[in-house]
Order: sequence, then C-alpha cells, then structure tokens
Amino acid sequence: MAISGLGPHGERASAPERVLLLPEDMARARARGFRVAIVLHTLASDWAKQQLSGMIGMLGDCGVAVIDVVDCAFTPEVQIEALDRLIAEAPDAIVSLPVANAKVAAAHARVAAAGIKLVLLDNVPTGLLPGKDYTSLISADNFGLGKIAAECLSPHVAEGSEVGVLGYEADFFATNEREIAFVKWMRINRPDVRLQVRRFPSLADAARVTRGLFDDHPSIAGLFVVWDTPSIASAGVLTALDRKIPMVTVDLGQEAAIGLAANNSLVAIAAQQPFRQGETAASVTVSALLGRLTPDWVALPGLAVTAENVVECFQTVWRKPAPREVLRMLSLVSPALPRTTPS
Amino acid sequence: MSTPALAEDASQPRRKGRPRVSETASPSLVQILNLVRSEQATTRQEIERHSELGRAVVADRLGTLAELGLINESELGTATGGRAPRLVRFSADRGRILVATLDQTALGVGIADLDGALLMEHHEASELTQPVSALAERLITLFRWILERQGNPQLFGISISVPGAVPDGGEALFLGTTPAVLPGWESFPLVEALVEAFDAPVWLRSSVETMTMGELHAGVGSGHRTILFVKVGKRIGAGLGSDGALFRGAQGAVGLIGSVPISGPGGSGTLEAMAGSDHIAQEGRSAAERGASPILAEHMRRGGEITALEVAQAAQVGDAAAIEILSQSGRLIGQVVATLANMLNPALIVLSGSIAQTNDILLAAAREAIYGACHPLVSRDLQVVRSQMGSSAGLVGAAIVAVEGVFSPAILRDWIMAGRPQAHPLFQRMKDEIARKRRAEEHIVRPPDA
Repeated sequence: MAISGLGPHGERASAPERVLLLPEDMARARARGFRVAIVLHTLASDWAKQQLSGMIGMLGDCGVAVIDVVDCAFTPEVQIEALDRLIAEAPDAIVSLPVANAKVAAAHARVAAAGIKLVLLDNVPTGLLPGKDYTSLISADNFGLGKIAAECLSPHVAEGSEVGVLGYEADFFATNEREIAFVKWMRINRPDVRLQVRRFPSLADAARVTRGLFDDHPSIAGLFVVWDTPSIASAGVLTALDRKIPMVTVDLGQEAAIGLAANNSLVAIAAQQPFRQGETAASVTVSALLGRLTPDWVALPGLAVTAENVVECFQTVWRKPAPREVLRMLSLVSPALPRTTPS
Repeated sequence: MSTPALAEDASQPRRKGRPRVSETASPSLVQILNLVRSEQATTRQEIERHSELGRAVVADRLGTLAELGLINESELGTATGGRAPRLVRFSADRGRILVATLDQTALGVGIADLDGALLMEHHEASELTQPVSALAERLITLFRWILERQGNPQLFGISISVPGAVPDGGEALFLGTTPAVLPGWESFPLVEALVEAFDAPVWLRSSVETMTMGELHAGVGSGHRTILFVKVGKRIGAGLGSDGALFRGAQGAVGLIGSVPISGPGGSGTLEAMAGSDHIAQEGRSAAERGASPILAEHMRRGGEITALEVAQAAQVGDAAAIEILSQSGRLIGQVVATLANMLNPALIVLSGSIAQTNDILLAAAREAIYGACHPLVSRDLQVVRSQMGSSAGLVGAAIVAVEGVFSPAILRDWIMAGRPQAHPLFQRMKDEIARKRRAEEHIVRPPDA
C-alpha cells in the first residue's frame, strides 16, 4: 500500500525494506557488541508492548544489548530525567518516543550532542533535524490512517449528516496528521457532511469532551476518534446516552477488536503495525550504528480493518491469534468449545 | 497591548508647527527595538552606549516598547560588581508569522514566533498544477487549523515560498497585489485573499530564496556571513546569503543557474536538462532497459516506477550504473557552482533537494568538481555540505523574510506607535482597496444565463 503522507519536515517516506538487514550486517553488529536504551511514552498499551517486543527481538538477533527500557508515563519531566540519566550511561544509541514537542526538544538534542545515535518513534520534537539531531524517524503513515478512517466511515453516514471528530489537544505529529487527513478526505469526498471538531487534553478527559460534543451537537451521526484508547471512553459515553452511531478509530487494540467483531458502534479501524514498526526501528538503529546512511523517515502503511477481516488483520498486527471472544462473535469457533487459544 | 488611538495619529497627514511625540519618538523606538531584537544590546547601559541616546530617553522608549508588548525586562543578568542589571529581551511571543511552502508536488504550512523559530509544521502532497483557487482554499484551511491549534494568536505577517522568482522592486515591503509568479496566478488574487482571510501583511519569495534564508539563520549556514545555496531537483537554482542577508539582485531573479548552457559526455544543453532530476530518472530508465543496472531493471520488472529517488537509492547500495549517473550530475553541477564560488568567495556551499540530501555520491562528485575548479584562495576554507533541514528550510526562511520585513526600519517606523504591523498606512490602504473592489463586485449585475 502506498504511503500518502509526508514526513514531519516534508520528507518523502522510505519503505521499511530500505533498511532490511542482511546476514552479514547482523554478523558485523554481533561482532561490535552495541548497547542500546529504549525510552517509550508508556509500557502499558498493547501498541507499546508489541512495538517493544518487535524491537527487542530484532536487536537480540543482532547481538545488541538493551540496557534499559523506560516508561515515561506520558510525562515530559520523566522523559527529560531519563534521557539525561541515559546520556551519562553512554549507550551507542537511544530509541525514544518523544512525549511532547518543545518541552522535550532540548533533552533530545543533548543525546546527539553527546555522540549517541538517536532514533525517534512517531514524533519529532520541535526544531530537531534529521542527520543533525537525530538519525531517523520511524512511524506509521498517520496521514494514510486518517484517510482510511474517513473512507471506512463514509458509507455509514447518510447524506447531509453531521460527523464528530475527536482529536488530541497536544501538538503531536501522529495525531495531527490523522486529524488533518480525515478532515481533508471528508471535505473533498463528502462536502455534504458537516464536521464538528473537539480535542481532549488527556486520556482522562476523553469521556467529558465526547459528552460535551454530543450535548452541543445532538444530531451527530458518525464519530472519528484519533486512537483506540479514548475511543473506548467515547463508546462508553454513547452507551450511556443510549446512542448507536457508527464510529471509526486508529489502532487495533484487544478491546477495539472485540468492539469491531461485536458489530456495535465501531465499524472500522485503521490499524498500525506496531510489531513490524518495532522491528524496523531496530533495523534502522543497527544500520546507523554500522555507519550506513539511513532514511530521514521510514513509514509503515496502515491496514483497513472491518468485522470481515478483523481475525486475519489481528494476526498480522499482533502476531498471535485473535481473542477468543472475537472468534466466537464471528462464529469461527463453537461457543461450547473449551478455551484452548491464548488471547 | 496595542494603542489604536496612536495608530490613527500615525496615519494623519503632517501638520505645521511643533512635531508630535509619535514623530520624534518613532526613530529612537525603531533603533532601540532592533538593537534589542538582534541582541546587540541586552541591558539599558548597552542600549545607551549603542544608540547614543540619553538615559531618560532610553527609559521612556523602553517604557513605550514594554507597554506595546514588544520587549520585557523581567529577567536579571549577571552582576559585574554592583547590582545585577535587568536584561532587556525582545518578546518573540508578541506575535506569530504564518508560513507556507508551495512546491511542485507538496504543500507545507507552519507557524513561527517573531524570532523566526518554527512552532508547528505540516506537509502534505499537493499538485501545483491544480487551479490556484483550490490551492488557496487548501492553504487557508490549513492556516485556520494551525491558528486554532495555537489559540488564535495575534498575527504579524504571512510569508509564502513559491517555486519561481518573485519579481518585485520593494526591498522588504509586503505585497500590495498578487504578482504573476506562476501561470494562472494573474487570474486569482492570492495575496488579497490571504489579507482578507487573516488581516495580516503578506510576503512572497522564491523557494530558493527562502531556503537560503533558512540555512543562513537556522541551518548549517548559521554563524556564516556568506553562503551559496544550491537546490537540485527538477529545477536547479541558487541563492546567495551575503553579509548575513539575502541578495535579491535588481528584480528578485537571482541564481537561475539551471539555464546555464553546459557540455557533457552526452551532448550539450542547460544545466537543468543535463543534471536535473528528470535527466537522472531518464538515464536510470535507460540503464534499466539496456540491462546496465540490475537493481533498477529488477525494480522496473516488478512494475515500479523509476524516478531520480530510485536511481539515488540504487547508487547508495552500490549499483555501478546508478553511481555513474549521479556522479555525472554532481560533476556538471559542481562545474557551474565552482564558477559562482570563484566570483563570490562563499564560506559555505549548501547542496539541497531530495537527491542531494539523500545521496553521498552526487555530493562527493560535486565537491570534487568544485574544489578542483576553484582558485586556491577560494577553496582554502570553503566547506561544501548537504542541507539537513529539508523542506523546513523553506518554512523557517519564509518566517525570517517576514520578520526582517516587519522589523525593517523603513516599515517599522510606520507602525511601531500602534504596536502592530496592521496599522501601517499602506496596509490600511490595501485593505480599503480590497474592500472597495469587493463592494464593486457585489454591485455587478450578472447577465442571465443563455
């Protein structure tokens, strides 16, 4: 699938294949005995766990020691402290997902200034430049994800309807791109649809903002939420309001997959491939440590997931069988069958 | 904090008799603000020394500038014996500049503070061949989105980078009408549409000019006084940063080096035709078809399109034919750039454009040709590097163009007493003119459809 977005500085995307490691690259890396630290926004989400698993596995194949994995709990101060502590440890590279823009920019700039390779995931802090302040950015094609979400919601929305967009207040590359792409696709392809945009400042506010959106615009007949965790809160609000309206979101989490199979409000998901993204981030890190030129931006295409293909997409994304509940809802297993499949 | 009453005064015709306070204060306000903005002076003592103004006048003017929100004195400096001095700082957050880059295949938008630092940016694919009205509509939509995300700040200007020379005589003055930069622009008033939508003065510069400014102020060129910027793409153009400022020539048409005729192994033509990305792609396709490049042939066999980027990637992984194509381009570009370097004696040459930035081979070949053909005095400390800012250079540079424009003494003196550039009499006149045209259009009775 083609990448439809551009990078944070207007870069054209490079495919993950660009940084494939050959057996001789892996042998060279093993001989060098590199040390790498990983700093993530959270370790609690399915997405983060999968990404970490892909990354650590691939680094292991290359003989690279992962010396620390930090959970920043979405907090800039924690990330700044972690980066400064890790700089003192002098690893060969740090893979980081910046939790903010301007606030964490200086701390990230200090990594490259200390001669440590910095590989970024999903977001680039304000003012940092590829090649100078960081090696590469690895992210999903977030613009493409927003577009997939709009395409999937469109058939469920009647002519002249009102559609709600629930965005993220923080200035974050990934969520900005999804929101812009969704709105752009709707304006071009569904000019009859009126869009109402609201943004939540934190996950804890997602339900409150959803309620406010529906209080102000009770005739909303479709909803896009920029990722799956807040969409669960939105779905809860809709249930409380006794409203069943079509909803689309990004990321195929466990609960979202169940929601999709249940054929309730959630009609489609634009899914990222976190495991593959983790593997790609590891390949980029090893390539950079071996002195190879790495692309400024490596982007992975998204998948359009509906109830029809949720099982195979779940397997592609998570590298494990779909949850038992999903299989049961789709009548792929008999309800009486004893539970043998791990979820 | 603006003082509209003073703005009205500033636009009044000159009267006889004793000059008004606004007339006598303006020059010193302009001088002091620019000393603070450029950080040439950061304390009251330094301002008095540089401006040769008395203590009372400096105190009075700083009071006015603080009231207008353009400076602040909240920070303390380092004490050198006595009490620590208060630092006088420019309030870069007083206003914002909306910036955009229009490219052949992409549209970039962003917002910057009054130091020209980018606070937010977004880029998306966009064809320049679409109608100007559609392009303007998209631009305005994205600008509105950014302003909403930033809490609708006070705008000081809009600056746009376009893929062609912008012929205008005025040095730093904002535009009064839309110049015919690209085909179709004569039929759509882009500048006027932006002024109507956002009530802020508009600047336009060529992409090579904005990128040169970007590199000079925030990229590899920062700290250098003289840089030569070369953008290699479908078009090949150059920009000159001279003595820290953009050199614009007589009509703003500097650096059109793509039209220089050259001779190479394959014949002769313009530099663009012999070394640009179209030529690289064409040579790549030909190498794939005749079997000289296994990597490109394989790519083509799988149905992939061969652009200059594929040739660059093939060269990067060691494909001999692709390496030769890029080396040849690099050598030809280097020959032309060396001539410019001999004339201009830059401290730094920055090669930009996706091919030059992602490929070491083209850069190495250009470097070899430049060093080989330069006078020893010119090449002694000359650095030839690749840009690391990508399309952001255009956005940052566009912001710098507007900031330099807004605060250039000739323009600043006409709005400073009001604290916002919108009070400039020429801008007011332009808005009146737009409103008059709009009213006239509303009164035109359309003939019935046939």
